[in-house]
Amino acid sequence: MQKIFLYILLFALTAGAMSCQKFLDVNQNPNSPNTAPINGLLIRATQQTALNVFNVGNITSNYVQYLASPNAASPTDTYDQIDASGTWTSLYDAMTDIYDMEQQASAIGAKQYEGVAKVLMAMNLSLIHNVWGAAPYTEAFSGKTFTPKYDDATALYQRSMTLLDEGIALLQQAPGNSRTIPTGATSPDLIHQGRTANWIKTAHAMKARLLNQLSKTPQYNPTAILDAVSKAYTSTADDAFITTFDVRNPWNAVAVANAGQILQGWLSEYFVNSMKDTLYGIPDPRLPLIATITRFGDYRGTRSGKGRIGTGINRDESYLSTTGYYSSQSSPLFIITYEEIKFIEAEVAFRTNDKMRAYNAYLEGIRTNLTKMGVAASAREAYLTNPKVAVGANSLTLEHIFREKWKALFLHPVTWDDARRINYNYPGFELPLNAVQTTPIRRLVYPNVELSRNGANVPAVNSVTQRLWWDQ
Amino acid sequence: MKKPLLLVWLFLAIPFLVFSQSRQVSGTVSDDKGTPLGGVSVTQKGTRNGTVTNDNGGYVLTVTGASPTLVFSYAGMQSMEMPVRTASVYDVRLSPGGPMSEVVVTALGIRKEKRQLGYSAQEISGEALTRTKETNIVNALRGQVAGVQINSGGGAPGQGSRIIIRGIKSLDPGKNNQPLFVIDGIIMDNSTVTGGDDQASLRGMTNRAADINPDDVESISVLRGGAATALYGQAGSNGVVVITTKSARAGKMRIAFSSTYGIEEVNKFPDVQTVYTQGYRGVYDPQTIFTNWGPTVEAARAIDPTHPAELFHNYARAYKTGNQIRNSLNISGGTENALLTSSFSHQKQNGVIPNSDYQNISVRLNGQFRAGNIFKFSPSFNFINSGGLRVNPERFNEQLSYWSPRWDVTDYIKEDGTMKGYRDNPIYGTYSNQFRDNVNRIISNVSATLSPVKWFDLDFRGGMDYYTDFRRHTAPGARGLAGELNYSDNGLGFVREFRISNRILTSNLIGTFKKDWGTRFNTVLRVGNDVRAHKFSRLTATGSELDIPTLLTINNSKVRANNQYEEDYRIVSAFGDATLSWDNYLFLNVTGRNDWTSTLARGNNSFFYPSVSLSYVFTDHFLKPSWLNFGKLRASVAEVGKDANPYQNNAYYSSVIITSSSQVAWTRDNQRGEQTLRPERTTTLELGTELRALNNRVGLDFTWYKLNSRDQIIPVFVSPTSGYTSLVSNAGELENRGIEIVLNGSPVRGRDFSWDATLNFSRNRNKVVSIIEGLTEITVGSWFGYVGSTATMKYVPGQPVGSIYGTSYQRYYGNKTDDKLTVDNSLPIVIASTGANAGFPLRDLTQRILGNSQPNWTGGLMNTFTYKALRLSFLFETHQGQDRYNQLGNYQSAFGTAPYTLDRNTSKVFAGVLPNGTPNTQLVWLGQGVGPDGRNYTDGFYRNVHRGVTENFVEDASWVRLRNLSLSYKIPTNFIRGNVIRDASVTFTGNNLFLWTKFSGFDPDASSFNSGSNADAFTGFAYPAVRSYLFSINLNF
Repeated sequence: MQKIFLYILLFALTAGAMSCQKFLDVNQNPNSPNTAPINGLLIRATQQTALNVFNVGNITSNYVQYLASPNAASPTDTYDQIDASGTWTSLYDAMTDIYDMEQQASAIGAKQYEGVAKVLMAMNLSLIHNVWGAAPYTEAFSGKTFTPKYDDATALYQRSMTLLDEGIALLQQAPGNSRTIPTGATSPDLIHQGRTANWIKTAHAMKARLLNQLSKTPQYNPTAILDAVSKAYTSTADDAFITTFDVRNPWNAVAVANAGQILQGWLSEYFVNSMKDTLYGIPDPRLPLIATITRFGDYRGTRSGKGRIGTGINRDESYLSTTGYYSSQSSPLFIITYEEIKFIEAEVAFRTNDKMRAYNAYLEGIRTNLTKMGVAASAREAYLTNPKVAVGANSLTLEHIFREKWKALFLHPVTWDDARRINYNYPGFELPLNAVQTTPIRRLVYPNVELSRNGANVPAVNSVTQRLWWDQ
Repeated sequence: MKKPLLLVWLFLAIPFLVFSQSRQVSGTVSDDKGTPLGGVSVTQKGTRNGTVTNDNGGYVLTVTGASPTLVFSYAGMQSMEMPVRTASVYDVRLSPGGPMSEVVVTALGIRKEKRQLGYSAQEISGEALTRTKETNIVNALRGQVAGVQINSGGGAPGQGSRIIIRGIKSLDPGKNNQPLFVIDGIIMDNSTVTGGDDQASLRGMTNRAADINPDDVESISVLRGGAATALYGQAGSNGVVVITTKSARAGKMRIAFSSTYGIEEVNKFPDVQTVYTQGYRGVYDPQTIFTNWGPTVEAARAIDPTHPAELFHNYARAYKTGNQIRNSLNISGGTENALLTSSFSHQKQNGVIPNSDYQNISVRLNGQFRAGNIFKFSPSFNFINSGGLRVNPERFNEQLSYWSPRWDVTDYIKEDGTMKGYRDNPIYGTYSNQFRDNVNRIISNVSATLSPVKWFDLDFRGGMDYYTDFRRHTAPGARGLAGELNYSDNGLGFVREFRISNRILTSNLIGTFKKDWGTRFNTVLRVGNDVRAHKFSRLTATGSELDIPTLLTINNSKVRANNQYEEDYRIVSAFGDATLSWDNYLFLNVTGRNDWTSTLARGNNSFFYPSVSLSYVFTDHFLKPSWLNFGKLRASVAEVGKDANPYQNNAYYSSVIITSSSQVAWTRDNQRGEQTLRPERTTTLELGTELRALNNRVGLDFTWYKLNSRDQIIPVFVSPTSGYTSLVSNAGELENRGIEIVLNGSPVRGRDFSWDATLNFSRNRNKVVSIIEGLTEITVGSWFGYVGSTATMKYVPGQPVGSIYGTSYQRYYGNKTDDKLTVDNSLPIVIASTGANAGFPLRDLTQRILGNSQPNWTGGLMNTFTYKALRLSFLFETHQGQDRYNQLGNYQSAFGTAPYTLDRNTSKVFAGVLPNGTPNTQLVWLGQGVGPDGRNYTDGFYRNVHRGVTENFVEDASWVRLRNLSLSYKIPTNFIRGNVIRDASVTFTGNNLFLWTKFSGFDPDASSFNSGSNADAFTGFAYPAVRSYLFSINLNF
């Protein structure tokens, strides 16, 4: 009797324990998977890379005075220390997804995906390098350490170059039977829709940009730049950009918010005056394609650091237009373009005294940009033949090249690299009002998110006027 | 060994009871004044045999045995034993037993004699709670219980309050450190749901315990230590608040009705200067953001005749008088074998911030059925509907600070319904940008007790707590009218719908075995099983960019998005509890519990933890001095384990939809959890004593405890460069130590007049012992301040919890060493000798400890005076030695609204030394622009220096307040024919009537973070606390 009872009990206990295990098996997260589809990562990686150009450009546009804050003495306008934790996190977030995509691609032998991942990584890494210098890379992304060490700035620069070379090598390999990126309108590759040839050109274009950035250093190598230029873009059709946004181009979001009286996207007085004829004596036909008209029927900028003069809602000044070339709902968001390559070519040719090549590339850069923006042919030719633009090969100066590049690459962060390379030597460029520094800004301080979470590894930065290694 | 198992089968057999020498006794029970007492429990000692007195205090009971003894017990009265001899009528008078009753509700609703407990437990009667007229029962507990710290988020209608018992026990900045709430044995959700929408966290959402109708509460028992809560396992590791609801008494039907009307107002406004008006650098500008850096009012009026003669005190003007009305009805009755209680209550409150309100409707049914003494069955059902318009007080006060006193903030709307003014108007904000929640909740349970034999009981409780919370956040878009000023938070208009549901199912089975081994040695053994299942679900749908600007439906939106979150959590437990008592003076209690949780990986998901407690009533053991009535020593040690949150031990990817192309992008989640997570462990050591002397007129309860929580499961923020922004792992240890003292006294106990007083004192010290390796600190939260004056709460090893970090004025260390952590106030401030700020104090950007948000000690003093039909009670409460970061203060400095900025047009020499150590002698002007000395001071001292120093805004937030005052009068009812009304009373109640504090802003007892958050160091823009005056009538039929 007792034995039977014991058996029944044992059975009951076992059954209970088994059903109990099942009862407790509810910790599989129903909301999120543990791995992600490679195409989903590619969509994210291409989109975020372009958005990071916006994120960084949204800061640097105040430094090169494309934009000015509607608020008096805004920290970004006045070279105050700003906490760019959001931008930093967004850059590393994108690089983490690129890292995962690269790992997956490498595991399944998908060379094309892997090559694209390396180029995308170089794009983000160079943005970080150009703003902060040293940053984590070697120990980053994997989660193996939570306080990654900083690779020094020159190493990061080298790493970006190596990534581009490795990317080119991978992209040049025949895909064979390996998985390739779907092409066409719904391609997960939001930049080049899976076109390998474009990616290779883009990688060379990135190389040209990075090599050209060394103009102040002994490593400056014109031959290498011209080589990269020759393998890069041949027309605007090659440009790296995205037009797929969640809802709208981020610059359009800025313009729309401003139209909804959340004030932002105000054009600086310096930019508006440069584009009107007040500063350079050349009325620029691109201004109406960028800016809104004031209630006075003209274009007016806001002095950097000064802030608004009235309530800010009476169209006393010009803003990014919600239908502008760079700020309409589906405007392209550029990562790197043909005109940039042309201006790089102009600069390097100029520096190597090939004035004719420099002048032609200079004019081609301007023409391309005007054409792309949809400036009428007559207005375009009027601009191109204006004596202040068509200065002739012999009268061409670096200032001309930098001025036109600055105009043609509106809102792009690469113009801040340029500004630092020529020491902000643009005609009529002034320090903002209420400037915190007596000389223009040269870098950002590390963001709070790093200082508080990885403080021991963060290099000391004394001032935003401290120059990065290539800017000495 | 097998015997107890066989017993399980035994109760299926027909129980039998042996009766011998039975006889009937009867009598009347009254209080010390002779008033008959109904509902007094009358039992035969050592048996389950018992009854309760009827309305007239009468009882009839059949007793058995040779020398039976009757035990009379009643809440608030001293129990009395009466040996039954030859007489058959025994009338007794019970005398008040001091403020605490002898029997307290302990874990799992088990009623235990207080003398048995080896740990502290404090019980508050429902009467003491309802006296405060607080609608949130958590607020009603304020100042009444030792070791319990309650911080109200603020004075918003229905706003959540945070309750912490014996300090914060988790290093996880987001983890709930609040106690478990148990209502009639059923676990009840007390979360403040804010996830999934960052707006909700700023809108003072209700803590869900506030759904309970305070009039339904019979008593609340607060279990603080590990041994007290051991039977609840991990759920009770932060303490347990055990709520027992009222149940009916046998006899005729009773009706209780109470009605309350009250008004409320902000109890403290920040001071403002009234001399300087809007403008910048002394130049008048009626449009600028600089609210008070202009010229004097007279000077401005000379320029602008429309300028008002006096500046508006907009802080005072923007707030209005709030009001509330509350009606509650309770009907109960039945026979001894079938009792039914029902209650209905309705409450509506309009807050002091315009467009904030809250409504709560509660309906409750509770039955008790018994079949003799063998079977008892109690079903209970409670339906609650609550919610209202929730404003964002942070935004309101921020915009109020940006609004110049040159303009009247209450003039906010144009005839066409659009915003009036020169910039964002906070009142228009609450009018147009609205967030409403609507909770429908059912708390239902059944409890059944089977007592087949004298030595065995079987209890079952099954319960459900289910609610849905439909939240809706809407704002219209700009209408495109000429000259329209759009409220900037509204953007292009939006509609956001949140559908939240939460369900907790509980099943609890306990077998109780009692055995008396002779006359002196008794044992009680309980074994049980506990199963809980939580299911949470949230669906969010948002539409933005409205086509028709004022049509608030998602159908009208251009951009739509939605997302979903589901969560399952389950836990199964087995537990045992053995109590051994020797001669009714020595009690040993041993418990053990094993949990199996769903949130940890197999192999790590089963964990056991024990507790031991000892109670020794030495006055019943030794001969005692005559003045000492009662003396007890107690000691306990307990451990409790704690699991992780669901889905915390893994890494995931999240999807992001690209609306325009319908593509799904995937990204690695920011949080990663280690798969090897193991349970946290908390060990509590508690020692205490209880003494009563001088005819029980003075009582003392003293407790010392030490609590260590180790292997904490915490998500720590990590560098985004690592690929994650937070990591969940077992790391860190936190220690809490403290003392709790409760002192009771009845200085006067007369026939017409009596005076009772209770004083409680608590002090908790905590320290972060360690955190995860490789990290130096954990950020709990930070709150904005201008130009680097942001204040941050961090956990740093070796430092106490609650430290507030920020920038300070630089101190001159000379040859003293600087620890780079604290600010040495004894040292002189360093004054700049060169540069733009020469002559002004230098800022020290190192993050240093500037204060601590946790009080050094807290206390409450309750006094009750009774004179005939009048009763006056008042409660003083204090929090001493706590600091808060005052964000409002930071804005007041930046915008020149603070009274101290009146010195703006004066010159002074700042006390301090130059960087080289020599005394500062440079005279500087404090104002803006070019000073009398010809130097350009640009934005002046306050904007250039003062506002950028966190130290200036971390203030002593200690307070003493008259938390509650209640005056009630019992109306004589004998003139009403037929005694329809048993008793009637009117009561005036005042809450928060007086506040003494050095804090410069609003009442510091309000928090910028929601009631579920541990970041309690920030205030300033929070919903201000209110002072309320309430008038109520109570009628009993």
